[in-house]
Amino acid sequence: MFSITKKMKAVIFVVATLLAVCAPTFGKQCNVSPVNIPKQWITMQQSCRSSMRRQIQMEVAASLQYLAMGAHFSRDGINRPGFAKLFFDAGSEEREHAMKLIDYLLMRGELDTDVTSLIQIRPPERKSWESGVDALEHALKLESEVTKSIRSVIIACESDPKFNDYHLVDYLTGEFLEEQYKGQRDLAGKASTLKKMMDRHSSLGEFLFDKKLLGMDI
Amino acid sequence: MTMFGFALACILAVSGAFAADTCYQDVSMDCGQASNSLALPRCNAVYGNYGRHGNVATELQAYANLHLERSYEYLLSASYYNNYQTNRLGFSKLFRKLSDDAWEKTIDLIKHVTKRGDMMDFSRRSTQEEKSEKNYTVELHELESLAKALDTQKELAERAFYIHREATRNSPQMHDPEIAQYLEEEFVEKQADTIRNLAGHTADLKKFIVANNGQDLSLALYLFDEYLQKIV
Repeated sequence: MFSITKKMKAVIFVVATLLAVCAPTFGKQCNVSPVNIPKQWITMQQSCRSSMRRQIQMEVAASLQYLAMGAHFSRDGINRPGFAKLFFDAGSEEREHAMKLIDYLLMRGELDTDVTSLIQIRPPERKSWESGVDALEHALKLESEVTKSIRSVIIACESDPKFNDYHLVDYLTGEFLEEQYKGQRDLAGKASTLKKMMDRHSSLGEFLFDKKLLGMDI
Repeated sequence: MTMFGFALACILAVSGAFAADTCYQDVSMDCGQASNSLALPRCNAVYGNYGRHGNVATELQAYANLHLERSYEYLLSASYYNNYQTNRLGFSKLFRKLSDDAWEKTIDLIKHVTKRGDMMDFSRRSTQEEKSEKNYTVELHELESLAKALDTQKELAERAFYIHREATRNSPQMHDPEIAQYLEEEFVEKQADTIRNLAGHTADLKKFIVANNGQDLSLALYLFDEYLQKIV
């Protein structure tokens, strides 16, 4: 059994070599054949890699959810351009987070294969919000989930028995968690300022707050 | 004669005003009511039968969704060309630019959908879309990836032509110069440039591949990538 597979392998190898040698007679060569580079420098482990990939997909999904919020607050009947701007900007920021994580994987020698399956585009889950406060609170919930997920990536990458990925863990802790915590504090502050006004002056409060978000002083 | 013309113009203007004043009618009806709610259903941004006749409104939503998908697909191509094996920074930059542009246009289209009083539907697909062409692969060699970029950019440009035609010619009840001029100003012109540039790149690569019995290929791809880094 074993020898047969070995023989088959040898045959396949010979055929492949023949094909490679005769390639110009079969068709035009349009690309340079891949080369072999030593791989001992590629040290990222499977569980860490797959949790990073999931994180990238999560940032992409968040970017789409923010676009849906931006679309909602741009509607003629809703008319909250300040909120729309806040959420469209947040959507672009999530896209940038996905790009930063991708760039990190590339630096570590990843993403030479299975790139197409990294990102899937699905319509965002939620389409409408009761009010500005409702949307800010939803955004805060979304960010908390992203933060929680980054923490799980950190756990996966530092607790691999074969390889503690100090550098990636430091990057996620120092850059990503920092940004998450600041972003969450900002959203929470906005939600609470607005919610206080909504108590008695809901429509004026939201109108004024929206213009504040636009950077306008009234 | 001039007096008659003036009178006619006045009558037309008054009747025209009555026909268009539906928001005003809502206001004057509802503000006199005893109820403390105001519906004003006709005080909205919809005019010129937008969203009521033809498929321009739904096609514009689908156009935003197509840009969104392409944006992330181009981003994946940009990523693939930046891995240590491919290591073509110029190709990566080219796809990154396509991705950034498509992302920017996505947001712009969403804003335009709402500008015309409509809602954005993120699951809307175009009637022009073929079901089978959904799988975009990024693990392609240089010329293949340029071919994909060229084909998908042509698809975006031709979709703009299609929506333009639907907005101006195809439907007897629908003539929407605002959509037509929006497409002309923000899409059509730039798309022609992008398509021409990509076609030019494939022409250059084609020459390198056949020249000198294919002996130039590996050096040509290296130089061409360096060139792309400079011009994108």
